[in-house]
Amino acid sequence: MARDRGMLRLVVTRMSRESAGIVSIELADATGRPLPAWEPGAHIDVQLITRMQRQYSLCGDPADLRSYRIAVLREDFSRGVSMYVHDFLHVGSVVHVRPPRNLFPVLPASEYLLLAAGIGITPLLPMARSLSRARAPWAMNYAVRDEANLPFASELESLGPAVTINAPGRAGRLDLAALLAAPHPGLGVYACGPARFIDGVVDAMGHWPSGSLHLERFEPKPVVALPNAPFTVHCARSNLDVEVPAERTMLQAITDVDLPVTGSCLRGVCGSCAVRVLDGEVEHRDSLTTDPDSRVMYPCVSRARAARLTIDV
Amino acid sequence: MASRFAALTEAEVRASLGEIEKPTTDKILDHLDRSCLTFLAHSPFCCLSTSDSAGNCDCSPRGDYPGFVRALDDRTLVLPDRLGNRLADSFTNILDNGHVGLLCFVPGMIETLRINGSAYVTNDPSLMAMLEQDHVVPQLATVIEVEQAYLHCGRALLRSRLWDDEMHDLATEVPSAGTMWAEASGLDADVARAIDEASVAGYKTLY
Ligand code: FES
Repeated sequence: MARDRGMLRLVVTRMSRESAGIVSIELADATGRPLPAWEPGAHIDVQLITRMQRQYSLCGDPADLRSYRIAVLREDFSRGVSMYVHDFLHVGSVVHVRPPRNLFPVLPASEYLLLAAGIGITPLLPMARSLSRARAPWAMNYAVRDEANLPFASELESLGPAVTINAPGRAGRLDLAALLAAPHPGLGVYACGPARFIDGVVDAMGHWPSGSLHLERFEPKPVVALPNAPFTVHCARSNLDVEVPAERTMLQAITDVDLPVTGSCLRGVCGSCAVRVLDGEVEHRDSLTTDPDSRVMYPCVSRARAARLTIDV
Repeated sequence: MASRFAALTEAEVRASLGEIEKPTTDKILDHLDRSCLTFLAHSPFCCLSTSDSAGNCDCSPRGDYPGFVRALDDRTLVLPDRLGNRLADSFTNILDNGHVGLLCFVPGMIETLRINGSAYVTNDPSLMAMLEQDHVVPQLATVIEVEQAYLHCGRALLRSRLWDDEMHDLATEVPSAGTMWAEASGLDADVARAIDEASVAGYKTLY
Protein backbone atom coordinates (compact mmCIF):
# COMPACT_ATOMS: atom_id res chain seq x y z
CA MET A 1 0.00 0.00 0.00
CA ALA A 2 1.45 3.33 -0.99
CA ARG A 3 2.01 5.86 1.71
CA ASP A 4 0.01 8.91 0.82
CA ARG A 5 1.26 12.39 1.37
CA GLY A 6 -1.30 13.25 4.03
CA MET A 7 0.15 10.74 6.47
CA LEU A 8 1.73 11.83 9.72
CA ARG A 9 4.94 10.17 10.78
CA LEU A 10 4.53 9.33 14.45
CA VAL A 11 6.57 7.50 17.02
CA VAL A 12 5.38 5.05 19.67
CA THR A 13 6.02 6.81 22.98
CA ARG A 14 4.43 4.34 25.34
CA MET A 15 2.90 0.88 25.38
CA SER A 16 0.83 -0.38 28.30
CA ARG A 17 -0.82 -3.69 28.87
CA GLU A 18 -4.51 -3.06 29.55
CA SER A 19 -5.57 -6.70 29.86
CA ALA A 20 -4.30 -10.14 28.89
CA GLY A 21 -5.10 -9.53 25.22
CA ILE A 22 -5.08 -5.74 24.89
CA VAL A 23 -2.22 -3.27 24.71
CA SER A 24 -2.66 0.47 24.47
CA ILE A 25 -0.24 2.49 22.44
CA GLU A 26 0.55 6.18 22.56
CA LEU A 27 1.74 7.87 19.40
CA ALA A 28 3.33 11.30 19.18
CA ASP A 29 5.10 13.49 16.69
CA ALA A 30 8.84 12.91 17.02
CA THR A 31 9.49 16.66 17.19
CA GLY A 32 6.74 17.24 19.73
CA ARG A 33 4.47 19.13 17.35
CA PRO A 34 0.79 19.02 18.39
CA LEU A 35 -1.36 16.54 16.47
CA PRO A 36 -4.54 17.33 14.51
CA ALA A 37 -7.58 17.73 16.77
CA TRP A 38 -10.31 15.08 17.04
CA GLU A 39 -13.68 14.45 18.62
CA PRO A 40 -14.82 11.33 20.50
CA GLY A 41 -15.72 8.55 18.06
CA ALA A 42 -12.86 9.38 15.69
CA HIS A 43 -10.44 6.79 14.36
CA ILE A 44 -7.08 6.84 12.66
CA ASP A 45 -5.58 4.64 9.97
CA VAL A 46 -2.30 3.27 11.23
CA GLN A 47 0.26 1.97 8.78
CA LEU A 48 3.03 -0.16 10.23
CA ILE A 49 6.57 -0.38 8.93
CA THR A 50 5.41 -3.57 7.19
CA ARG A 51 3.01 -1.39 5.11
CA MET A 52 0.05 -3.20 6.63
CA GLN A 53 -2.67 -0.81 7.63
CA ARG A 54 -5.55 -0.97 10.08
CA GLN A 55 -8.00 1.43 11.65
CA TYR A 56 -8.13 2.08 15.35
CA SER A 57 -10.47 4.24 17.38
CA LEU A 58 -8.80 6.95 19.38
CA CYS A 59 -9.30 6.14 23.04
CA GLY A 60 -7.26 8.86 24.74
CA ASP A 61 -8.15 12.39 25.73
CA PRO A 62 -9.17 14.73 22.88
CA ALA A 63 -7.96 17.65 24.99
CA ASP A 64 -4.41 16.33 24.90
CA LEU A 65 -2.99 16.81 21.41
CA ARG A 66 0.55 15.84 22.33
CA SER A 67 -0.32 12.23 21.66
CA TYR A 68 -2.95 9.84 20.33
CA ARG A 69 -3.83 6.66 22.15
CA ILE A 70 -5.15 3.51 20.51
CA ALA A 71 -5.68 0.01 21.88
CA VAL A 72 -5.12 -3.25 20.03
CA LEU A 73 -6.57 -6.64 20.80
CA ARG A 74 -4.34 -9.58 19.96
CA GLU A 75 -6.11 -11.85 17.50
CA ASP A 76 -4.07 -14.93 16.74
CA PHE A 77 -6.27 -16.17 13.96
CA SER A 78 -6.40 -12.97 12.01
CA ARG A 79 -4.41 -11.45 9.21
CA GLY A 80 -1.47 -10.74 11.44
CA VAL A 81 -1.47 -7.00 12.15
CA SER A 82 -2.49 -7.31 15.80
CA MET A 83 0.19 -9.96 16.28
CA TYR A 84 2.79 -7.65 14.83
CA VAL A 85 1.66 -4.89 17.19
CA HIS A 86 1.79 -7.19 20.22
CA ASP A 87 5.01 -9.00 19.36
CA PHE A 88 7.19 -6.49 17.56
CA LEU A 89 6.01 -2.91 18.01
CA HIS A 90 8.02 -1.09 20.66
CA VAL A 91 8.59 2.34 22.13
CA GLY A 92 10.46 4.19 19.39
CA SER A 93 8.81 2.33 16.48
CA VAL A 94 7.75 4.61 13.66
CA VAL A 95 4.24 4.35 12.25
CA HIS A 96 2.40 6.40 9.66
CA VAL A 97 -1.01 7.71 10.54
CA ARG A 98 -3.73 9.31 8.48
CA PRO A 99 -5.29 12.21 10.45
CA PRO A 100 -8.40 11.37 12.50
CA ARG A 101 -11.75 11.01 10.82
CA ASN A 102 -15.02 10.65 12.62
CA LEU A 103 -17.71 8.35 11.28
CA PHE A 104 -19.10 7.77 14.76
CA PRO A 105 -19.71 11.29 16.11
CA VAL A 106 -21.82 12.03 19.16
CA LEU A 107 -24.94 13.89 18.06
CA PRO A 108 -27.14 16.08 20.27
CA ALA A 109 -29.60 14.03 22.34
CA SER A 110 -31.34 14.51 25.65
CA GLU A 111 -29.66 11.44 27.15
CA TYR A 112 -27.00 8.94 26.15
CA LEU A 113 -26.51 5.22 26.52
CA LEU A 114 -23.12 3.79 25.60
CA LEU A 115 -22.94 0.06 24.94
CA ALA A 116 -19.59 -1.64 24.54
CA ALA A 117 -18.27 -5.16 24.39
CA GLY A 118 -14.64 -6.27 24.47
CA ILE A 119 -12.28 -4.05 22.51
CA GLY A 120 -15.34 -2.00 21.45
CA ILE A 121 -14.78 0.10 24.56
CA THR A 122 -12.17 2.19 22.70
CA PRO A 123 -14.34 4.82 20.93
CA LEU A 124 -16.75 4.95 23.88
CA LEU A 125 -14.14 5.83 26.50
CA PRO A 126 -13.55 9.36 25.18
CA MET A 127 -17.31 9.73 24.63
CA ALA A 128 -17.97 8.85 28.26
CA ARG A 129 -15.30 11.25 29.43
CA SER A 130 -16.61 14.16 27.41
CA LEU A 131 -20.26 13.50 28.31
CA SER A 132 -19.32 13.39 31.93
CA ARG A 133 -17.32 16.64 31.63
CA ALA A 134 -20.29 18.28 29.89
CA ARG A 135 -22.53 16.99 32.69
CA ALA A 136 -24.83 15.38 30.14
CA PRO A 137 -27.03 12.54 31.40
CA TRP A 138 -25.34 9.34 30.31
CA ALA A 139 -24.82 5.72 31.26
CA MET A 140 -22.60 2.95 29.98
CA ASN A 141 -22.86 -0.81 29.94
CA TYR A 142 -19.62 -2.60 29.20
CA ALA A 143 -19.77 -6.32 28.57
CA VAL A 144 -16.59 -8.26 29.26
CA ARG A 145 -15.97 -11.96 29.46
CA ASP A 146 -13.75 -11.91 32.48
CA GLU A 147 -13.96 -9.31 35.19
CA ALA A 148 -10.44 -10.06 36.38
CA ASN A 149 -9.25 -9.11 32.93
CA LEU A 150 -10.95 -5.74 32.63
CA PRO A 151 -9.13 -3.30 30.34
CA PHE A 152 -8.93 0.36 31.37
CA ALA A 153 -10.16 -0.66 34.83
CA SER A 154 -9.02 2.45 36.67
CA GLU A 155 -10.25 4.83 33.98
CA LEU A 156 -13.67 3.18 34.02
CA GLU A 157 -13.65 3.33 37.79
CA SER A 158 -12.96 7.06 37.73
CA LEU A 159 -16.00 7.64 35.52
CA GLY A 160 -18.15 6.76 38.49
CA PRO A 161 -21.51 5.04 38.91
CA ALA A 162 -22.70 5.77 35.34
CA VAL A 163 -20.59 2.79 34.27
CA THR A 164 -21.88 -0.73 34.74
CA ILE A 165 -19.47 -3.55 34.06
CA ASN A 166 -21.37 -6.58 32.88
CA ALA A 167 -19.32 -9.68 33.49
CA PRO A 168 -20.43 -13.10 34.57
CA GLY A 169 -19.98 -12.57 38.29
CA ARG A 170 -20.34 -8.81 38.72
CA ALA A 171 -23.54 -7.21 37.39
CA GLY A 172 -24.13 -10.43 35.47
CA ARG A 173 -24.32 -10.90 31.75
CA LEU A 174 -25.58 -7.99 29.71
CA ASP A 175 -29.19 -8.72 28.75
CA LEU A 176 -29.63 -6.44 25.74
CA ALA A 177 -33.25 -7.43 25.14
CA ALA A 178 -34.22 -6.48 28.70
CA LEU A 179 -32.10 -3.31 28.76
CA LEU A 180 -33.54 -2.06 25.46
CA ALA A 181 -37.09 -3.42 25.82
CA ALA A 182 -38.76 -0.03 26.20
CA PRO A 183 -38.00 2.52 23.46
CA HIS A 184 -36.83 5.78 24.97
CA PRO A 185 -37.32 8.71 22.58
CA GLY A 186 -34.57 11.28 22.88
CA LEU A 187 -32.03 8.72 24.01
CA GLY A 188 -28.99 8.36 21.78
CA VAL A 189 -27.56 4.82 21.87
CA TYR A 190 -23.92 4.37 20.85
CA ALA A 191 -22.71 0.81 20.42
CA CYS A 192 -19.39 -0.74 19.53
CA GLY A 193 -18.10 -4.28 19.76
CA PRO A 194 -17.77 -7.58 17.94
CA ALA A 195 -20.28 -8.46 15.21
CA ARG A 196 -22.38 -10.68 17.46
CA PHE A 197 -22.80 -7.93 20.03
CA ILE A 198 -23.71 -5.32 17.42
CA ASP A 199 -26.23 -7.69 15.86
CA GLY A 200 -27.75 -8.19 19.32
CA VAL A 201 -28.12 -4.42 19.80
CA VAL A 202 -29.64 -3.99 16.34
CA ASP A 203 -32.13 -6.80 17.00
CA ALA A 204 -33.07 -5.45 20.41
CA MET A 205 -33.71 -1.95 19.04
CA GLY A 206 -35.87 -2.89 16.05
CA HIS A 207 -38.87 -1.08 17.56
CA TRP A 208 -37.01 2.10 18.57
CA PRO A 209 -37.47 5.43 16.75
CA SER A 210 -35.16 5.53 13.75
CA GLY A 211 -31.96 7.47 14.33
CA SER A 212 -31.68 6.33 17.96
CA LEU A 213 -28.89 3.88 17.30
CA HIS A 214 -25.33 4.77 16.26
CA LEU A 215 -22.90 1.98 15.59
CA GLU A 216 -19.34 1.32 14.84
CA ARG A 217 -18.46 -2.04 13.41
CA PHE A 218 -15.01 -3.56 13.21
CA GLU A 219 -16.10 -6.43 11.07
CA PRO A 220 -18.28 -6.34 8.00
CA LYS A 221 -21.81 -7.55 8.49
CA PRO A 222 -22.58 -10.63 6.44
CA VAL A 223 -24.20 -9.71 3.14
CA VAL A 224 -25.74 -11.95 0.55
CA ALA A 225 -24.19 -10.67 -2.67
CA LEU A 226 -25.20 -11.26 -6.25
CA PRO A 227 -22.56 -13.06 -8.31
CA ASN A 228 -19.87 -10.64 -9.51
CA ALA A 229 -20.49 -9.41 -13.04
CA PRO A 230 -18.28 -7.09 -15.08
CA PHE A 231 -19.51 -3.52 -15.57
CA THR A 232 -18.37 -0.11 -16.75
CA VAL A 233 -18.00 2.89 -14.45
CA HIS A 234 -18.21 6.25 -16.08
CA CYS A 235 -16.23 8.74 -14.01
CA ALA A 236 -18.06 11.92 -14.90
CA ARG A 237 -15.67 14.51 -13.52
CA SER A 238 -12.61 13.02 -15.24
CA ASN A 239 -14.68 11.88 -18.23
CA LEU A 240 -13.21 8.40 -18.13
CA ASP A 241 -14.77 4.98 -18.66
CA VAL A 242 -13.30 2.32 -16.42
CA GLU A 243 -13.99 -1.37 -16.93
CA VAL A 244 -14.49 -3.40 -13.76
CA PRO A 245 -13.89 -7.09 -14.44
CA ALA A 246 -15.76 -9.66 -12.37
CA GLU A 247 -12.67 -10.61 -10.38
CA ARG A 248 -11.65 -7.04 -9.43
CA THR A 249 -13.33 -4.64 -7.07
CA MET A 250 -14.56 -1.33 -8.42
CA LEU A 251 -12.11 0.42 -6.09
CA GLN A 252 -9.19 -1.56 -7.54
CA ALA A 253 -10.31 -0.72 -11.07
CA ILE A 254 -10.59 3.01 -10.42
CA THR A 255 -7.35 3.23 -8.48
CA ASP A 256 -5.58 1.28 -11.25
CA VAL A 257 -6.19 4.26 -13.52
CA ASP A 258 -4.99 6.59 -10.75
CA LEU A 259 -8.30 8.25 -9.95
CA PRO A 260 -8.31 9.95 -6.55
CA VAL A 261 -10.31 7.53 -4.42
CA THR A 262 -8.59 6.00 -1.41
CA GLY A 263 -9.69 2.93 0.44
CA SER A 264 -8.66 1.92 3.86
CA CYS A 265 -10.53 -1.03 5.39
CA LEU A 266 -11.32 -2.49 1.95
CA ARG A 267 -14.20 -4.33 3.60
CA GLY A 268 -17.00 -1.79 3.51
CA VAL A 269 -16.86 -0.78 7.16
CA CYS A 270 -14.84 2.43 7.34
CA GLY A 271 -16.37 4.72 4.74
CA SER A 272 -13.10 6.13 3.38
CA CYS A 273 -13.71 5.08 -0.22
CA ALA A 274 -17.16 6.72 -0.49
CA VAL A 275 -18.11 8.01 -3.95
CA ARG A 276 -21.25 9.82 -5.11
CA VAL A 277 -23.36 7.99 -7.67
CA LEU A 278 -24.83 10.15 -10.42
CA ASP A 279 -26.55 7.50 -12.48
CA GLY A 280 -27.20 3.77 -12.44
CA GLU A 281 -28.24 1.24 -9.83
CA VAL A 282 -25.94 0.15 -7.01
CA GLU A 283 -25.76 -3.14 -5.21
CA HIS A 284 -24.70 -1.97 -1.76
CA ARG A 285 -22.56 -4.63 -0.12
CA ASP A 286 -21.05 -2.50 2.63
CA SER A 287 -21.86 -2.40 6.33
CA LEU A 288 -22.54 1.36 6.42
CA THR A 289 -25.46 1.88 4.07
CA THR A 290 -28.90 1.52 5.60
CA ASP A 291 -31.00 2.91 2.72
CA PRO A 292 -30.86 0.57 -0.28
CA ASP A 293 -31.48 3.56 -2.58
CA SER A 294 -28.56 5.52 -1.16
CA ARG A 295 -26.61 7.47 -3.80
CA VAL A 296 -23.37 7.13 -1.87
CA MET A 297 -21.51 3.91 -2.54
CA TYR A 298 -18.43 2.20 -1.15
CA PRO A 299 -16.60 0.75 -4.16
CA CYS A 300 -14.24 -1.41 -2.09
CA VAL A 301 -17.09 -3.92 -1.87
CA SER A 302 -20.15 -2.56 -3.68
CA ARG A 303 -20.83 -3.01 -7.38
CA ALA A 304 -23.20 -1.92 -10.13
CA ARG A 305 -26.47 -3.76 -10.57
CA ALA A 306 -26.40 -3.24 -14.32
CA ALA A 307 -23.79 -2.82 -17.04
CA ARG A 308 -23.10 0.83 -16.36
CA LEU A 309 -22.73 3.24 -13.48
CA THR A 310 -21.84 6.93 -13.42
CA ILE A 311 -19.97 8.36 -10.46
CA ASP A 312 -18.85 11.84 -9.47
CA VAL A 313 -15.09 11.25 -9.63
CA MET B 1 28.02 -37.38 -17.55
CA ALA B 2 31.67 -36.58 -18.12
CA SER B 3 32.42 -33.23 -16.57
CA ARG B 4 34.09 -30.48 -18.49
CA PHE B 5 36.36 -29.61 -15.59
CA ALA B 6 37.92 -31.69 -12.85
CA ALA B 7 35.13 -32.73 -10.47
CA LEU B 8 36.57 -33.12 -6.99
CA THR B 9 35.76 -35.89 -4.59
CA GLU B 10 34.33 -35.14 -1.15
CA ALA B 11 37.73 -35.69 0.46
CA GLU B 12 39.33 -33.22 -1.91
CA VAL B 13 36.67 -30.58 -1.29
CA ARG B 14 36.98 -31.02 2.47
CA ALA B 15 40.74 -30.73 2.23
CA SER B 16 40.30 -27.43 0.50
CA LEU B 17 37.67 -26.02 2.91
CA GLY B 18 39.32 -27.37 6.05
CA GLU B 19 37.39 -28.90 8.95
CA ILE B 20 33.99 -27.35 9.59
CA GLU B 21 34.53 -25.17 12.62
CA LYS B 22 32.39 -25.75 15.68
CA PRO B 23 30.46 -22.42 15.75
CA THR B 24 29.20 -22.97 12.19
CA THR B 25 27.25 -26.02 13.23
CA ASP B 26 26.48 -24.65 16.72
CA LYS B 27 24.40 -21.77 15.50
CA ILE B 28 21.93 -24.03 13.73
CA LEU B 29 18.68 -24.07 15.69
CA ASP B 30 15.99 -26.71 15.39
CA HIS B 31 13.29 -24.06 15.89
CA LEU B 32 12.75 -20.33 15.40
CA ASP B 33 13.98 -18.22 18.28
CA ARG B 34 12.87 -14.66 19.00
CA SER B 35 15.43 -13.22 16.56
CA CYS B 36 14.36 -15.53 13.75
CA LEU B 37 10.72 -14.62 14.35
CA THR B 38 11.58 -10.93 14.28
CA PHE B 39 13.57 -11.44 11.09
CA LEU B 40 10.62 -13.19 9.42
CA ALA B 41 8.12 -10.56 10.57
CA HIS B 42 10.15 -7.97 8.64
CA SER B 43 11.03 -10.04 5.59
CA PRO B 44 9.07 -9.33 2.39
CA PHE B 45 10.97 -11.73 0.14
CA CYS B 46 12.38 -15.23 0.10
CA CYS B 47 13.49 -17.95 -2.27
CA LEU B 48 11.93 -21.36 -1.90
CA SER B 49 13.96 -24.38 -2.96
CA THR B 50 12.35 -27.70 -3.61
CA SER B 51 13.30 -30.87 -5.43
CA ASP B 52 11.50 -33.93 -6.66
CA SER B 53 12.32 -37.38 -5.40
CA ALA B 54 14.86 -37.84 -8.20
CA GLY B 55 16.74 -34.78 -6.96
CA ASN B 56 15.74 -32.37 -9.72
CA CYS B 57 15.76 -28.93 -8.11
CA ASP B 58 13.76 -25.77 -8.38
CA CYS B 59 14.23 -22.46 -6.69
CA SER B 60 11.52 -19.82 -6.93
CA PRO B 61 11.07 -16.29 -5.59
CA ARG B 62 8.23 -15.46 -3.20
CA GLY B 63 7.38 -11.98 -2.06
CA ASP B 64 4.63 -10.06 -0.32
CA TYR B 65 4.03 -7.81 2.66
CA PRO B 66 6.78 -8.24 5.26
CA GLY B 67 5.89 -11.14 7.48
CA PHE B 68 4.07 -12.99 4.72
CA VAL B 69 5.98 -16.11 5.70
CA ARG B 70 3.78 -16.45 8.75
CA ALA B 71 5.11 -18.16 11.85
CA LEU B 72 2.22 -20.00 13.47
CA ASP B 73 4.53 -21.02 16.29
CA ASP B 74 8.27 -21.51 16.71
CA ARG B 75 8.31 -24.63 14.52
CA THR B 76 5.64 -23.99 11.93
CA LEU B 77 5.57 -21.60 9.00
CA VAL B 78 2.92 -21.01 6.40
CA LEU B 79 3.49 -19.56 2.96
CA PRO B 80 0.43 -18.37 1.01
CA ASP B 81 0.24 -19.17 -2.68
CA ARG B 82 -0.22 -15.88 -4.52
CA LEU B 83 -0.71 -15.02 -8.15
CA GLY B 84 2.32 -15.59 -10.38
CA ASN B 85 3.04 -19.15 -9.46
CA ARG B 86 0.64 -20.99 -11.69
CA LEU B 87 3.36 -23.30 -12.97
CA ALA B 88 3.25 -24.89 -9.56
CA ASP B 89 6.71 -26.46 -9.84
CA SER B 90 7.17 -26.14 -6.11
CA PHE B 91 3.87 -27.85 -5.35
CA THR B 92 4.66 -30.75 -7.65
CA ASN B 93 8.02 -31.16 -5.98
CA ILE B 94 6.64 -30.88 -2.45
CA LEU B 95 4.05 -33.54 -3.18
CA ASP B 96 6.89 -35.78 -4.34
CA ASN B 97 9.47 -34.78 -1.74
CA GLY B 98 8.63 -32.65 1.28
CA HIS B 99 12.15 -31.32 1.92
CA VAL B 100 12.37 -27.58 1.31
CA GLY B 101 14.85 -24.80 1.89
CA LEU B 102 13.99 -21.13 2.37
CA LEU B 103 16.35 -18.20 2.06
CA CYS B 104 14.76 -15.07 3.53
CA PHE B 105 15.82 -11.47 3.00
CA VAL B 106 15.21 -8.20 4.81
CA PRO B 107 15.91 -5.21 2.53
CA GLY B 108 18.98 -3.37 3.74
CA MET B 109 20.20 -6.28 5.83
CA ILE B 110 23.17 -8.27 4.59
CA GLU B 111 22.60 -11.41 6.64
CA THR B 112 19.96 -13.80 5.38
CA LEU B 113 17.88 -16.31 7.30
CA ARG B 114 18.05 -19.90 6.12
CA ILE B 115 15.33 -22.29 7.10
CA ASN B 116 15.13 -25.95 6.15
CA GLY B 117 12.25 -28.22 6.87
CA SER B 118 9.60 -30.44 5.51
CA ALA B 119 6.53 -29.11 3.80
CA TYR B 120 3.04 -30.06 2.77
CA VAL B 121 0.29 -28.30 0.85
CA THR B 122 -3.04 -27.43 2.43
CA ASN B 123 -6.26 -25.51 1.78
CA ASP B 124 -7.53 -25.47 5.38
CA PRO B 125 -10.22 -22.74 5.33
CA SER B 126 -9.34 -21.14 8.67
CA LEU B 127 -5.72 -20.92 7.63
CA MET B 128 -6.63 -19.48 4.21
CA ALA B 129 -8.75 -16.79 5.90
CA MET B 130 -5.70 -15.69 7.92
CA LEU B 131 -3.76 -15.27 4.69
CA GLU B 132 -6.24 -12.96 2.98
CA GLN B 133 -4.64 -10.01 1.26
CA ASP B 134 -6.38 -7.23 -0.65
CA HIS B 135 -9.64 -9.23 -0.56
CA VAL B 136 -8.10 -12.30 -2.05
CA VAL B 137 -7.95 -15.49 -0.05
CA PRO B 138 -5.34 -17.87 -1.43
CA GLN B 139 -6.54 -21.25 -2.59
CA LEU B 140 -3.51 -23.10 -1.32
CA ALA B 141 -0.75 -22.62 1.15
CA THR B 142 2.47 -24.43 1.96
CA VAL B 143 3.02 -25.37 5.57
CA ILE B 144 6.65 -25.82 6.55
CA GLU B 145 7.68 -27.71 9.65
CA VAL B 146 10.98 -26.19 10.65
CA GLU B 147 13.93 -28.51 11.16
CA GLN B 148 16.85 -26.09 10.89
CA ALA B 149 17.09 -22.33 11.13
CA TYR B 150 20.16 -20.15 11.08
CA LEU B 151 21.43 -16.77 10.07
CA HIS B 152 23.78 -16.82 7.11
CA CYS B 153 26.70 -14.42 7.24
CA GLY B 154 26.53 -11.22 5.21
CA ARG B 155 29.60 -11.51 3.00
CA ALA B 156 27.72 -12.58 -0.12
CA LEU B 157 25.37 -9.62 0.07
CA LEU B 158 28.16 -7.30 1.08
CA ARG B 159 30.31 -8.33 -1.88
CA SER B 160 27.34 -8.14 -4.24
CA ARG B 161 26.34 -4.69 -2.91
CA LEU B 162 22.82 -5.93 -3.44
CA TRP B 163 21.09 -3.13 -1.51
CA ASP B 164 23.13 -0.21 -2.89
CA ASP B 165 21.01 2.26 -4.83
CA GLU B 166 23.49 2.68 -7.68
CA MET B 167 23.30 -1.05 -8.34
CA HIS B 168 19.86 -0.43 -9.86
CA ASP B 169 21.65 0.87 -12.99
CA LEU B 170 22.50 -2.74 -13.81
CA ALA B 171 18.90 -3.51 -14.71
CA THR B 172 19.00 -1.02 -17.59
CA GLU B 173 21.56 -3.22 -19.36
CA VAL B 174 19.48 -6.39 -19.22
CA PRO B 175 16.91 -7.08 -21.95
CA SER B 176 13.32 -6.55 -20.88
CA ALA B 177 11.19 -9.49 -19.80
CA GLY B 178 9.23 -9.22 -23.06
CA THR B 179 12.43 -9.45 -25.09
CA MET B 180 13.67 -12.44 -23.12
CA TRP B 181 10.37 -14.30 -23.41
CA ALA B 182 9.94 -13.45 -27.09
CA GLU B 183 13.49 -14.57 -27.91
CA ALA B 184 13.06 -17.76 -25.97
CA SER B 185 10.00 -18.52 -28.08
CA GLY B 186 11.60 -17.38 -31.36
CA LEU B 187 9.33 -14.33 -31.72
CA ASP B 188 10.25 -10.84 -32.90
CA ALA B 189 10.63 -7.42 -31.30
CA ASP B 190 7.01 -6.39 -31.90
CA VAL B 191 5.85 -9.31 -29.85
CA ALA B 192 8.42 -8.42 -27.20
CA ARG B 193 7.03 -4.90 -26.99
CA ALA B 194 3.48 -6.22 -26.78
CA ILE B 195 4.46 -8.57 -23.96
CA ASP B 196 6.15 -5.72 -22.07
CA GLU B 197 3.08 -3.52 -22.42
CA ALA B 198 0.77 -6.30 -21.35
CA SER B 199 2.88 -7.09 -18.32
CA VAL B 200 2.87 -3.45 -17.16
CA ALA B 201 -0.92 -3.74 -17.08
CA GLY B 202 -0.87 -7.28 -15.72
CA TYR B 203 1.48 -6.36 -12.87
CA LYS B 204 -1.21 -4.10 -11.45
CA THR B 205 -3.02 -7.23 -10.35
CA LEU B 206 -0.89 -8.48 -7.52
CA TYR B 207 -3.38 -10.64 -5.64
S1 FES C 1 -12.35 1.23 2.12
FE1 FES C 1 -13.48 1.17 3.94
S2 FES C 1 -15.48 1.33 3.20
FE2 FES C 1 -14.35 1.15 1.42
